[in-house]
Amino acid sequence: MKELSEVLKDWEAVIGLEIHTELTTLETKMFCNCKNTHDAKPNANVCPVCLGLPGALPVPNKRAIESIVKAGLATNCEVQKHSMFYRKHYFYPDMAKNFQTTQGPVAFCMHGHLDLEVTGRGAAERPECAFGAAEAQSLASASANAVGLSTAMATQMREGSHGGALAGMSGYNTANLALPERHEDGSYTVPIRILRIHMEEDAAKMVHVGGEEGRIAAASESLIDYNRCGTPLIELVTEPDLRTPEEARLFMEKLRRIFLTLGISDCSMEHGSMRCDGNVSLRRRGETKLGTKTELKNLNSFKALHDGLAYEICRQAEVLEEGGIIYQETRHWEPGRKRTVVMRVKETADDYRLFPDPDLAPFDLSDEFIAHCAAEIPELPDAKRDRYETAFGIKRADAEQIAGDPETAAFFEASAEGLSGKPAQAVANLIVNELAAYLKGVEGGITDCGIAPAQVASLAKLLAEDAISSNQAHEVFGLMAESGEDPEKIVDERGMRQVSDAGALQPIVDEVLERCADQAQQYRDGNQKVLGFLVGQCMKESRGQGNPKLFNELLRASLS
Amino acid sequence: MAQYIDTLSAARIAAGIKAGEFSAREVAQASLDAIAAREDAVQAFLQVCPELALAAADRVDAARAAGGELPPLAGVPFAIKDNMNLVGTRTTCASRMLENYESVYTATCVQRMLDAGCVPVGKANMDEFAFGSTTDSSAFHPTHNPWDTERVPGGSSGGSAAAVAAGEVPLALGSDTGGSIRQPAALCGVVGMKPTYGAVSRYGVVAFGSSLDQVGPFGRTVEDVALAMNALTGAGKDPYDGTSQDCPVDFCEHLNDPIEGRRVGIIPAFMEAEGLTPEMRAAVEAAARELENQGAELVEVDLPHLDAAIAAYYVIGPAEAFSNLARFDGIRYGYQEPDCANLDAQSSLSRAHGFGPEAKRRQMLGAYLLSSGVYDKYYYAAQKARTLITADYASAYERCDVILMPSSPRTAWRHGEISDPTQMYLADLYTISINIAGNGGVSVPLGLGADSGLPVASQLVGPAFKDRTMLMFARALERGLTDAATGAPALSVAPAFAGKGGELA
Amino acid sequence: MALTETDVRGIADYARIALEGDELAEMTSYLNDAVDMLAPVLDYDLPDVEPTFHPIGDLANVMREDEELGQRDLPLEVALENAGSTRDRYFRVPSILGEAGDR
Repeated sequence: MKELSEVLKDWEAVIGLEIHTELTTLETKMFCNCKNTHDAKPNANVCPVCLGLPGALPVPNKRAIESIVKAGLATNCEVQKHSMFYRKHYFYPDMAKNFQTTQGPVAFCMHGHLDLEVTGRGAAERPECAFGAAEAQSLASASANAVGLSTAMATQMREGSHGGALAGMSGYNTANLALPERHEDGSYTVPIRILRIHMEEDAAKMVHVGGEEGRIAAASESLIDYNRCGTPLIELVTEPDLRTPEEARLFMEKLRRIFLTLGISDCSMEHGSMRCDGNVSLRRRGETKLGTKTELKNLNSFKALHDGLAYEICRQAEVLEEGGIIYQETRHWEPGRKRTVVMRVKETADDYRLFPDPDLAPFDLSDEFIAHCAAEIPELPDAKRDRYETAFGIKRADAEQIAGDPETAAFFEASAEGLSGKPAQAVANLIVNELAAYLKGVEGGITDCGIAPAQVASLAKLLAEDAISSNQAHEVFGLMAESGEDPEKIVDERGMRQVSDAGALQPIVDEVLERCADQAQQYRDGNQKVLGFLVGQCMKESRGQGNPKLFNELLRASLS
Repeated sequence: MAQYIDTLSAARIAAGIKAGEFSAREVAQASLDAIAAREDAVQAFLQVCPELALAAADRVDAARAAGGELPPLAGVPFAIKDNMNLVGTRTTCASRMLENYESVYTATCVQRMLDAGCVPVGKANMDEFAFGSTTDSSAFHPTHNPWDTERVPGGSSGGSAAAVAAGEVPLALGSDTGGSIRQPAALCGVVGMKPTYGAVSRYGVVAFGSSLDQVGPFGRTVEDVALAMNALTGAGKDPYDGTSQDCPVDFCEHLNDPIEGRRVGIIPAFMEAEGLTPEMRAAVEAAARELENQGAELVEVDLPHLDAAIAAYYVIGPAEAFSNLARFDGIRYGYQEPDCANLDAQSSLSRAHGFGPEAKRRQMLGAYLLSSGVYDKYYYAAQKARTLITADYASAYERCDVILMPSSPRTAWRHGEISDPTQMYLADLYTISINIAGNGGVSVPLGLGADSGLPVASQLVGPAFKDRTMLMFARALERGLTDAATGAPALSVAPAFAGKGGELA
Repeated sequence: MALTETDVRGIADYARIALEGDELAEMTSYLNDAVDMLAPVLDYDLPDVEPTFHPIGDLANVMREDEELGQRDLPLEVALENAGSTRDRYFRVPSILGEAGDR
């Protein structure tokens, strides 16, 4: 198979994502008061409602509705005041009622977007192309398809005068399609549109017994644990605006940072609280008609999302280039074998027999309700990144990384308070490098790892004042983590403070040059490399306390 | 002189227990004795629960002995339609599907009756999953009309109606999706009320049509029905049923108010409808005259979109029923076909063998009506018809306080007399539109028909959440037509059963 | 257009109701009768009328607080009590794809 970069020279990949996020921070499930947790024994958190017992009725969790409204506001969606829950029917044991309570044509949140900044190598993969009307039409039906609505439902506006979903779909035109804005360095910014975010309930977990690796294929029986059944889930569906696996990954990362900041989920892809399916099809560059798409499952990490899509794009290109046909099917990404395999061929569209759930009153959200949700939204990662960049003067990439995680951001702000420029950047460096590495090796997170922001601030000041080298900083970081002591004290007690006084260091330089006359001569003869040896000798002579940069300068001056 | 439980209203029983005339245990035992003596002929119950009954009665007696305030219906035995969950009993919906289903929680409506001091004596027969109007579709046995045991009691809450009419219990709970309380009440000669949708919690009541179902009481007097309504609604809306609403009225408060100067609507098209038997028509006309005699004004009202009601009902009802019954797949509960090689076979055969013919028909119809292409054609049309019918009622109520109409086009028919399912659907003409609009309705017995000698009745329907007004008119009819003849509210126990077992010790 | 037996078999497959013996023919006949009976409703798909999905007036925004009450939690033995087949703490179903794995 060809490399992705080769494939993308000839083909345009059209990618849409469906991202499910469990609202793990809620106390209770979506429609009942059962505990909303991952770590209970099988079937320990069930009640008549989530077990679908005869006669049980659902009542929506208010905080779940608040959470989805916040998610919509934070992703530039239009919050729909009027929407309803629907029943989506399919017979499968992971749904206790054999229908899923979800939303219909109008979701709580519609028509949002996130702007992606794509830089570096991935930026070259995005093709330059324009959209035509025919393209808009085919994308519109792709969008409708993505949410499982019948064509009839998708073309008729059936939820009363307030709803805008299908009006939005039929109004899907080129004006809505923003093109990437290229910057001089080849990087670009592109808005990725969000079709909708709707509220639904999660399904039970099934264990397939007797088959290979817990797969369903050869299983002799399956076991069902309804703990997860009825837990609150929001599903975000993008428009098919993504064009490269890199964009897909960036979108997912960005969304995750936003949801983490909102505090609506732990967003763990590893534990399945954030799950992503990808729809991908190819067409020749310049073509407006969409190709046949496949749906990719098991994209359970950022890497899997990128690599699965990249593989699938290359696979489709190979099939098409050999004159083959792409079938509309669901494929499973196997990260171990680095390939996708067929799970299910879709011969006909599923008929889920959606209709408004009569047990759940409609929603007619008030301005006050939406304003209350908006007021609870904290500063979002993009705004925080920009503020860190301007207020603290730290590098954009570091600002982005720190701002993306609420706890890290809080730690940074506590550490860098009152600082800007060099010491603030030193704080950022310590957090991004030393602290991140340290946290990987210990239990617990940033708030309970035993390191205080004041310690990091103190260490950063030492660095910024050139009182210690970055190598020393690494050592001091380890010592302060271990002892809980202040870095200044550690540095002073161990006599680590770096000497940056040229007057104090010159005698050492003179002494070393006298002792190492051969090497000094080699340098004068043009061997630049020997300078490192001489600096090392100076450091040794100063018992590690001399500023290596200053030694370097003094040596050069003395030898010239 | 011996006193029999079937001569006592719920109000009288509660008062007697409070006064120490008899104990709750004696009453419960009398009810159980009456059931033992009468069930062979009536077969109103699917399960009798003497232990639960006596334990509840003993709690009432203990409370009285301790000098505590007794709740309003303390010690009053009641029957529960078998689609309502009560821990300690099976909830079968009269279906093989749930033949062995043990209730693991208690329905709110049942709990509220228990909280009011009522004593549960058993689970009443019904049409399977409430699909029907005869109770003949029960998977276990038919129930017989106490007025003529060769005839049906009506349905789907036929067991509840028959248990009250046979004097086995003074009160029973039923559910009404398209007439399932009012029609059997009419056929059995008892009072049966479907409250406004949302007045009574549906939590724990096995759903048929979620937007149509409503729980309500049967009694032999209007006052007993009012007392039961107080029990069912007094605690306010149910946090477990998001469609329930507060209904903050005392249903007994204005029960005996005069109706002078109030207006009663009559729908001429209903009185002329094909299929309405002369004796039923005569009974409703007599009721109208009685209300007029008491000073009410009769006004003609029109419901122009009523011709769509049956069709709309048979779109909405089956669609919701298909959805609600999808959960019965034999996995978590219910009949499970043994020895199936795979899940599909297990589900399909469990459902094929667990459900009876009408339950299968309704689900098939619903699955068809919800399918792609068909849904757009029928479902929206039906819900628009619903909007129009609701508006029809609303404009009618601008001109009257209640509307008087038949509850059933005819008196009780013989078992097996009507067999074609779609013909049977048409008999719901008078009850269905109330469920579609969500308003309340109450069937009031009007004695025996001149031609059949069987109970005749009329129905009073009122605006949403004006159920108390409706009961006031029902009481006016009762006061005028039966008190006048007997000196007290006639307790309407079918004569063949009166005084058969159930003597208070 | 009348429903054929093939149509009805498709609905039955979807609804997981196995039709045996004469049931397919009976069901087909019933469904066609029932659908005929529903015809009057088709006249009501009027453009100016909003559908009523909930017969509860203006009731909207019904929500509950996100509080764990524990009142309705079912102990495991009660949760599994009515199940036809269980294993350990789980509900059990037979092979989903069937012995041949043909679906």
